[in-house]
Amino acid sequence: MNNIPLFQQLAHDSWVKPFFKQYRWTLALAIFLGFCTFFCAGALMFNSGYLISKSASLPENILLVYVPIVLTRAFGIGRPVFRYVERLVSHNWVLRMTSHLRVKLYKAVEQDAIFFKRKYRLGDVMGLLSEDINHIQNLYLRSIFPTLIAWLLYVVIVIGLGCFSLGYALLVALYFLLILLAMPLWSIIVNGARQSKEKTLKNDLYTDLTDNVLGIADWIFSQRGQEYVALHEQSQDKLSRVQSSMRKFNHLRDLLFQYAFGLLALLTLVWCSTQFIGNHGGAANWIAAFVLSIFPLVDAFAGLSAASQETNTYADSIERLNALPEETEEQTWHETPSQPLQFDIQDLTFRYETKDVLNHLSVTIHAGEKVAILGRSGSGKSTLASLLRGDLIPSDGTVLLGGVPVHHLQSTISQYIGVIQQEPYLFNTTILNNIRLGNEQASVEEVWDVLQRVGLKSMVEQLPDGLATIVDEAGLRFSGGERHRLALARILLQNTPIIILDEPTVGLDPITEQAVLHTFMHELQDKTLIWITHHLQGIEAVDRVLFIEDGQLEMQGSPEYLQATNPRYQRLKAIDDGE
Amino acid sequence: MLDKAILRLSGIRSLMGLLAGLDVLQAIFIIGQATMLSSAITGLWEGQSLGDQKVAILIFAICFASRHLITYIKDRKLDTFASEQSHTLRRKLLEKLFDAGPHIVQQQGSGNVITMALDGIGLVENYIHLILSKMINMSVTPWLILVVVFWFDWRSGLILLLVFPLIIIFMIILGYAAQAKADRQYKSYQVLSNHFLDSLRGIDTLRFFGLSKRYASSIFKTSEQFRKTTMSTLRIGILSTFALDFFTTLSIAIVAVFLGLRLLNGHILLFPALSILVLAPEYFLPVRNFASDYHATLDGKNAMQAIDRIINEPSIRGEQITIAPWNEHSTLELDNITVDYDGKQFLQPTSLQFKGMQKVGIIGMSGSGKSTLMNVLSGFLPIAQGSIRIDGKPVANLNQDAWRKQLAYIPQQPYIFEATLRDNIAFYTPDATDEQIMQAAHVVGLDDVIAELPQGLDTRIGNGSRALSGGQAQRVALARAYLDQERTVYIFDEPTAHLDIETELELKQRMVPLMEHHLVLFATHRLHWLRQMDTIVVLEHGKVVEVGAYEDLMARHGALYRLKHEMGSSIHE
Repeated sequence: MNNIPLFQQLAHDSWVKPFFKQYRWTLALAIFLGFCTFFCAGALMFNSGYLISKSASLPENILLVYVPIVLTRAFGIGRPVFRYVERLVSHNWVLRMTSHLRVKLYKAVEQDAIFFKRKYRLGDVMGLLSEDINHIQNLYLRSIFPTLIAWLLYVVIVIGLGCFSLGYALLVALYFLLILLAMPLWSIIVNGARQSKEKTLKNDLYTDLTDNVLGIADWIFSQRGQEYVALHEQSQDKLSRVQSSMRKFNHLRDLLFQYAFGLLALLTLVWCSTQFIGNHGGAANWIAAFVLSIFPLVDAFAGLSAASQETNTYADSIERLNALPEETEEQTWHETPSQPLQFDIQDLTFRYETKDVLNHLSVTIHAGEKVAILGRSGSGKSTLASLLRGDLIPSDGTVLLGGVPVHHLQSTISQYIGVIQQEPYLFNTTILNNIRLGNEQASVEEVWDVLQRVGLKSMVEQLPDGLATIVDEAGLRFSGGERHRLALARILLQNTPIIILDEPTVGLDPITEQAVLHTFMHELQDKTLIWITHHLQGIEAVDRVLFIEDGQLEMQGSPEYLQATNPRYQRLKAIDDGE
Repeated sequence: MLDKAILRLSGIRSLMGLLAGLDVLQAIFIIGQATMLSSAITGLWEGQSLGDQKVAILIFAICFASRHLITYIKDRKLDTFASEQSHTLRRKLLEKLFDAGPHIVQQQGSGNVITMALDGIGLVENYIHLILSKMINMSVTPWLILVVVFWFDWRSGLILLLVFPLIIIFMIILGYAAQAKADRQYKSYQVLSNHFLDSLRGIDTLRFFGLSKRYASSIFKTSEQFRKTTMSTLRIGILSTFALDFFTTLSIAIVAVFLGLRLLNGHILLFPALSILVLAPEYFLPVRNFASDYHATLDGKNAMQAIDRIINEPSIRGEQITIAPWNEHSTLELDNITVDYDGKQFLQPTSLQFKGMQKVGIIGMSGSGKSTLMNVLSGFLPIAQGSIRIDGKPVANLNQDAWRKQLAYIPQQPYIFEATLRDNIAFYTPDATDEQIMQAAHVVGLDDVIAELPQGLDTRIGNGSRALSGGQAQRVALARAYLDQERTVYIFDEPTAHLDIETELELKQRMVPLMEHHLVLFATHRLHWLRQMDTIVVLEHGKVVEVGAYEDLMARHGALYRLKHEMGSSIHE
């Protein structure tokens, strides 16, 4: 059992198992209804077989077949009705679970949101995690439910047979274990290795193809594109071979499964011939009933092997979800920074994987001051921004805001500091809702007011749905500059005394950049501004420039002072001015 | 119902013939299996011994075994066929992609293209397998069974025959109803189903606004709303399965009851009645199988259509001409060319001449038509009007192998393959020696990087392995170009726009000497590059507004002067 990936993952699981208890009556109902579906299917043939045999024995009284006639109709209608209701109930149950799973996932990610996104910047980890939840849905619907239903059916069949013949019941009990246990286990074991190989090959193909499709222009210039196609075909063939051997196994297993049922029908026939002896009726009426009821049961058991084999593919999802941090109780401080809201950074060191990203940095940022933080990529300037907001905790030294360590402020930090990121995220909802993120109580007038201030009012007015336009449906309607302006609009509503601009104009052309910066500086003039940038355009607007290099403060001063005294600054400034 | 794309597959006719033949054989075994079982049961019912049923039981077993063996054979045949077909389709798709280039990838989205080539083809394979077996099965098996039922008892046959169109009609009607309901709810359904992922992706933004903790309850609320919407769609959506189930089981029940009543009257005997009862579910089995895989076939069909569309996209590749290696006297003339895309004009009539080892700076802000011009020059976009001449020889567009062989194209973010540093540098020249590669690396200033890498040139770099910084990636791209001495035309598209200023400066020192003795077409909005250029082309709103040397244009106080002023203007104003 320990070799089965699903069981390994379920051993220490907090994502699948706990939810069985929640709404357990609905769960029991779904399984019971599923049982009824197959029961009706079997009972229909059982009853029909009996009805026909009984009728053929020409009973004196027609009322003797009246009950089977009514039952035949009842089972005939019962099967589709139970199936319909079962599907509704089970889907409803699974979707309820999904709501809880989503909240659980959200909370797990939320604790460490900023860091989490940075750590997995390349892949779409969020897309992956939300897919994982869909996999758990499938695990319930396609593997767990059918298996439970089949076992319930098994128990009832064995008990039912036990009423007629203990010996035969025992035989059937053992025989069914072959179908219920041996075949699925056999599938998992034989195909498990193939499946993991298939997965590796598939992942490789995916990474490889992604890599080369992204670099497709270079393939074309090199004029070696068809060389790659040939190479890809080779790896694809390897995958095809694995898949084909898996399919071959599946077909063979399905064939054996059918043969097992055929043999069961024969066994039943033989047993009936000894159990129900009669001549043109009597006990012999039961023979057709028992034999015919075997065949509809195929449906209940046919998918089990495939379903249990499929669980291998869900094991990864469960593993990934279980690896997420547990929700923890945060220590709370309830501290309030005192005015003036001044940053005191003392001897700040931040270490990441043994590398000192920031190294004994000390600097003070006064309330109302406008500071530009300049440095190469990788110099530690973005880390500094995260430390200033308390999203990262210093390895050494302190970051104080108004005398309080910033990470003690926890979520109240959003009352003090607003952030505009490199690529502002716009939610897939209306413009109004996106802007109201800054202040949910803001009136429509206030929203129009901030739009006016960031220079987007006339543009939004011209949209057919105005503020109610869904951002995403606008597609490319929002250019880079406009997205930044929308981000500024929310910040203006948030109205915090301190704003961090984290390379807010990367990717804009210089004229747009200039215009956006102009708006930013003008609208944020009465705030403390910490502007992280990688070049010097628009730098005259700040009070002080801090150069960070290798995690240390390399030079600082007002733009005028540096322009007058510092040759390095002069050189960089000249380049940025296009000289 | 078989769509034409399937019927065009090679070898499809003989396969369909084979499948139909196997289905006929299989139907015979099904009938044999049903009648022999009924015969054995009837014998026992009549009080005969089990031994008397030996023959019937044996034939039953043979029929039963053969019937399922045929399913196995059919599946294996179809596996092979579907796998061959999907293989061909995949090759065609990839050949098309790596022939047409970034144009299709940009249009479809790279993720989309990759999914299509991997998962999409898988869906098509499944589709080919399913549609052939289920369609042919449905058009053969039920009717042979029905003939036998009619032969036993025409009344039962009539019931089964009448139910069949009823099932189809109800499934179609309910299918439409479900579709209509789904369409009505589509919009809110989309919003609700994307909400969770949207919240996860924007989770840092929520945190910045202090909303992230409270947002968990909104997630639950939306998810529950999603559940309700889904359930209300599902209630209608699974009605068609219900109808199928209902009519099949109910008709079996009706047949059984009718048979029972007629047995009572002595109008029919047990053997034919039992045979009919056993055959009835077999009669419905093919249509039920078809319905249960209907959605899978639909996905496959859509994927196949999408792939066919790409394969059949017309190529812009025109007649190929021979072009002499670019030298001091070579010329490239663009004469009144325009570029249209999606019915919109991206480049208004433009005329430009490039000659010899010129260095041309191309300046323009977003939307100026700069990228369009670069795409024309590298041969990815066709022109709508005007003409292009290389050394006086007219060409339809620059998708010319002989032209591209001389090009090195360096974009804003050069792509670094997930391969060794050596393979990345020697991408255009796989046969280059280590000395040549080291020399190229040295020229672009990669010495320090190589020294830091654990396995030097053999270290794997790229996204999944060891990501390079923007500046390093540019250096690798430069080394690539430098290593191939035949590439004498350099096209740069904003090579330093996203770099920090000091990195940009260091890179510039390496780039300037490399540009000597090359035709350089340098698109940028970083004005400091212009002093290195012989000629400046200024683009605005899809039009060339100025051409000339830097000093002349600045002295003229025209478009370039204005641009420079707008960028440098102090924001205190």
